[in-house]
Amino acid sequence: MAVTANPLPHAHPSPGNTGTGKPEEAGAHHEEHENHSEHLMLDPKPRGEMNAMAMESMLSTNWKFWVVIVILAVIVGYGFFYQWAILIIEGQGVAGVTRPDYWGLFLVDVVFWIGISHAGTFISAILRVMKVEARRPFTRAAELMTTFGLVQAGLSVFLHLGRVWLTYWMIPLPNQRTLWPDFHSPLMWDFMAITTYLLSSTMYLFLPLIPDAAMARDRSTGWRKLFYRVLALGFRGSEREWKHLGTAMNIFAVAIIPVMFSVHTIVSWDFAMASRPGWSSTVFGPYFVIGALHSGISAVLLVLFIIRSTMKHMEYFLRLEHFDFLGKLSLVISMAWAYFYFNDYIVPWYGGDVADKELLHFQEHGPAAWIWYTMLICNIAIPWLILWNKNWRRTPWLMAFIGIAVNIGMYAERYIIVPVSVTVTRSPFIARLYEAAIEIPITIGMFAFFLLLYMLASRLIPLIPIWEVEEGQAAHSLQKVGKADIVTLSELE
Amino acid sequence: MSENFTLVALFQDVNHAAEGIGKLHELGIDDHHIDVLSGIPIKGSILGRPHFKTNVPRIGMVGAGLGLCLGLFFLQGTPLLYPLHVGGQGLFPLPPTLIISFEMTMLGLMGFSFLGVFIESSFPAFDATHYAPEVSDGKIAVFCNCPTDLQEQVTNALTAAGAESVRPVEAHLP
Repeated sequence: MAVTANPLPHAHPSPGNTGTGKPEEAGAHHEEHENHSEHLMLDPKPRGEMNAMAMESMLSTNWKFWVVIVILAVIVGYGFFYQWAILIIEGQGVAGVTRPDYWGLFLVDVVFWIGISHAGTFISAILRVMKVEARRPFTRAAELMTTFGLVQAGLSVFLHLGRVWLTYWMIPLPNQRTLWPDFHSPLMWDFMAITTYLLSSTMYLFLPLIPDAAMARDRSTGWRKLFYRVLALGFRGSEREWKHLGTAMNIFAVAIIPVMFSVHTIVSWDFAMASRPGWSSTVFGPYFVIGALHSGISAVLLVLFIIRSTMKHMEYFLRLEHFDFLGKLSLVISMAWAYFYFNDYIVPWYGGDVADKELLHFQEHGPAAWIWYTMLICNIAIPWLILWNKNWRRTPWLMAFIGIAVNIGMYAERYIIVPVSVTVTRSPFIARLYEAAIEIPITIGMFAFFLLLYMLASRLIPLIPIWEVEEGQAAHSLQKVGKADIVTLSELE
Repeated sequence: MSENFTLVALFQDVNHAAEGIGKLHELGIDDHHIDVLSGIPIKGSILGRPHFKTNVPRIGMVGAGLGLCLGLFFLQGTPLLYPLHVGGQGLFPLPPTLIISFEMTMLGLMGFSFLGVFIESSFPAFDATHYAPEVSDGKIAVFCNCPTDLQEQVTNALTAAGAESVRPVEAHLP
């Protein structure tokens, strides 16, 4: 094994040793060159160079970046904070919710953002436990999505509460009348699960960031030096520090997976525990989890495309192999989602309950039918038509299109579950089609808020976990087997 | 009795670093006087160093236990403090107990594991210490604390092992 600061000798053809001109040698060199350009793990650069690339990608901003920041800040200020202030002052009457649609777009947003947040944990934790090497360059980009997605999900809950100044009633402390929160309620389970997930995913984002913060500390001046010094906590890279950090990261990687599954399962129970058409379903738990992974993985595809297109040197770290890998993952998850959706559909369809049948008919033929068809086209038809093809999976803009389409489809799915389903009740005389009001600018503001936080973070913390990339590159090598070069992986961890 | 001093040797790759550490052992310098810094985690067995123990899992398990107790208190304890009967459900329901206890246990496990890194690594550590910024550029730094009369021998041994540079080092802010 060789952990070097220079390119690995076995992974780079040295100048002057480019073959003797024999066809078979020329072919072998061509194959080797292809391996290098294809796989990040087989195309190492000196660590110092990779550090410089990561730093430059953070520090390089042009006027376009700041124009986008200002536009997003204005949208967040007006669409989110100002409209929320109106909502607080005027009350929930300015929103589109009224009976029977007490749960409108804010709840759609909660479910959507929690879904987005599943990407980071899935990619970082599950793929880390399974030692999937392709994960290395984009784990942090996905983990950031988790943290900022959960921030939006939490804010959506506060928006939905109405009297947000009474939020502290949900904190497990007795109130003035020594009355404790009612832990029988699925909404309290939700509060506890989202809080656990937000705290643990933020810690999980921070731990692998410490060595990269130390790297940035060593290369910064001024306020950034101070910022990274605080963030790095005095990390030096000693054996003991790596040992403690590695052990904690392993604990997190294993422990956060069931928490991830529990969070969206519990979100699904917010609905499934109610005895009403469209909600009362025993398959809702896994169906929600798969849906979350579907939207989360697709959102990662979109984010990787944007990062690769707009930030310096990202083409070195984020390669077509990564889009290909995520594309395959997305295809499998799309199939799993279709399977669970069909399970959720077929039982009420076959059961023949009057309200259930009315709801299914309303979804397929009512005024919101276009949303139902959008869901099926975006979540099933588009991914299945595109992702089977290797060349298309390796076309970044097409994968970004998949990312947008699936997220539109998943938003539509949540819209059908929340306001469309509550339109049809067992009391038809109160049936009413939900129409969002102030929720629309607030939702747009929330999307802008997510983008704003992500863009600012991309200039403050290294989006590529450089030490993890170097660790992976040190473990990979090419071994000649017969006439072919075979990628081998050493067990260094 | 001679004074001790600290020097740092920078190595380009792990094989040379392991060789250098071996030579320090041959000179009679034990592992307590050697510190290795690297830009990526390297197993102690690769460098010929002892296995370092960590208490992070134990601290995490303490947190898990406390979290479990807290979860049980929420579901089994608070109804005793203020009985609240919800239609059709027992005062001490098992399924919600499992859910809340699970969440609190996992939060305790991860929260305390996180704290464990701080405790075990003495983070935050903003005092002056021995450090070589080249470490984050991929170099492997071997710090050696040894008596002054061994300085020449140690320097020669580390240079012979392939160190790019061997220099005395003073504590400073990382």
